[in-house]
Amino acid sequence: MHEVSIAQSLLEIAINNCKNNGFSRIGNIKVLIGKASGVMPDALFFAFDGLKADTIASEATLEIEEVPVSGFCNLCNKDFTTDEKFILACPHCDGLSYTLNSGRELNITEMEVF
Amino acid sequence: MKLKVASKILDANDRIAQENKNIFKEKGVYVINLMSSPGAGKTSLLETTIRNLGGKIKVGVIEGDITGTDDAARIDSLGIPVVQINTGGACHLDANMINEVLNDLPLDELDVLFIENVGNLVCPAEFKVGENMKVMILSITEGHDKPLKYPLMFQESSALIINKIDLKSFLDVDVEKIKKDAASLNQPIKIFEVSCKTGEGIDNWVKWIQTLIS
Repeated sequence: MHEVSIAQSLLEIAINNCKNNGFSRIGNIKVLIGKASGVMPDALFFAFDGLKADTIASEATLEIEEVPVSGFCNLCNKDFTTDEKFILACPHCDGLSYTLNSGRELNITEMEVF
Repeated sequence: MKLKVASKILDANDRIAQENKNIFKEKGVYVINLMSSPGAGKTSLLETTIRNLGGKIKVGVIEGDITGTDDAARIDSLGIPVVQINTGGACHLDANMINEVLNDLPLDELDVLFIENVGNLVCPAEFKVGENMKVMILSITEGHDKPLKYPLMFQESSALIINKIDLKSFLDVDVEKIKKDAASLNQPIKIFEVSCKTGEGIDNWVKWIQTLIS
């Protein structure tokens, strides 16, 4: 359900960026979503489509790129990348001390404006 | 044309959370964002904690619920400053909702502010509200599979309070598994086993709170 708040925030950022740069309509919006961010792309699409009506983004589309979880293990000193949504331990050595480098993103990277 | 933007989608929330945090810091208030599923015992924990502190530390409470004022009435009856937020449907509190009620609390007089989030094991973990730390409660009646099913909340919390420990002998729940899985998800997590009903274990939790704010 919190995808509605996230879609609302996304829409506000897009509309402000569009207006501040002197444009009046929004096309495609590219979004990065980390697999461990807890955000479900389908729920975000649904919320975004519901909220965009009657705004300058009424014809906008979302293009979501999912970012895998990656990190660095402090015990075996190796980088890792995984398809898992959440990791419990380093995939190489099962160590519990690691630093995540990606997977929690929730960013707008690019948008089309007219 | 294409416009490059590099914005975090939750920036607006994070910005207001930082404003709140600055206000709390200036006023000298330690803020704890208390999260759990519905019925785990958030309000009961607050009641016992407040009684246990015995007025030595000045406590304030923000109650977040979708609707209703039952929780705020329970805290109010203890003579503690309390504000009820009704989210009207939203499944979590966000930084702006907290910002809007700050003037309704005597922040100058408080040492600790507990923010009781909406009962939900998923969404509240996503939104900063300006707290010093997040604390979660899991009651043992919810089962030992919860850390691995709802990992984000366990990862975001500085402490896990395992409540209703007095019911252990009636349930097929593996409390050690809860502790082991929570520690795997979040190695530095502090774990307290308590019963808000009997008072078991509350001492340790209250002492810990006292060390954090002293």
